[in-house]
Amino acid sequence: MKNQSELYKKVCEYLGCDLDSTPCKQIQEYLKVCRNCEVYVDKIKKTVNIYKVADSCDQLPGDICKKLFITLNLNDLNHPEELSEKD
Amino acid sequence: METKDLQQETELVSKAQNGDRQALSRLVIEYRNRIYHLGLRLTNSEQDAEDILQETFLIMIKKIHQFKGKSSFYTWLYRIAMNIGLRKLKSKPHKYQHVSINDPDIEKISSTAASEWPTFDYGQISEKRFRKKLDELVEKMPDNYRTVFILRDLHELSTEDTGKILQITPSNTKIRLMRARNYLKEQLEGLVAEEGLI
Repeated sequence: MKNQSELYKKVCEYLGCDLDSTPCKQIQEYLKVCRNCEVYVDKIKKTVNIYKVADSCDQLPGDICKKLFITLNLNDLNHPEELSEKD
Repeated sequence: METKDLQQETELVSKAQNGDRQALSRLVIEYRNRIYHLGLRLTNSEQDAEDILQETFLIMIKKIHQFKGKSSFYTWLYRIAMNIGLRKLKSKPHKYQHVSINDPDIEKISSTAASEWPTFDYGQISEKRFRKKLDELVEKMPDNYRTVFILRDLHELSTEDTGKILQITPSNTKIRLMRARNYLKEQLEGLVAEEGLI
């Protein structure tokens, strides 16, 4: 079990609040009696992580890059190899 | 963004404003992936994401001389992309009926015996069928929650920058993020068990 202070910071972070804000101070009090809070925060963290992992699998298709530079009339400036290897 | 990168970008933007096409090209290369993925997550459509990508950079080239540096360049660019994306969403019928998003039920959290999620099998997450279900959950969220979730959690922008892009206060940004995260967590409770991810 993490110590109270560390838990408090985690809950605030995942609720999106500033650490010294009133909601966070209220949460600090609440944590003293809430044993499920750490589990809740862990699930929020894993939920966000699932979406980050899922999104990181997406690649920008090479033909979209080429079409983009043609549309922008910038295709004469870059080599296709460079464009596909960047990012 | 680090100070050195910020300086380099400021110089690049300045050159682009003075008609340097190479500088414009560098800015496109820098941001094309992020803008495409923003569009993809927002619309859940590859075609719409490509349209958003092209329209965003066309407007960037047309209006870059109007950028005054009052916000960071990427905030300005994201705002253009977000406006195009939201306009596109409004022009089409919703695929799903949007769900109602509420605050976390604190009483329930504290009174129900909590069961932990072990570490997920992230290999399964990239499977097409599971990805579709994840996408559906996000797509069912009302636009004002989905946009905050995308910018804050997936693109890792700050509360302040997210608020500037969406033209809402930092407090509203935080509240929407909290509700969006809680909604997705609740939906995933059933999904991860159903899919055998835990």
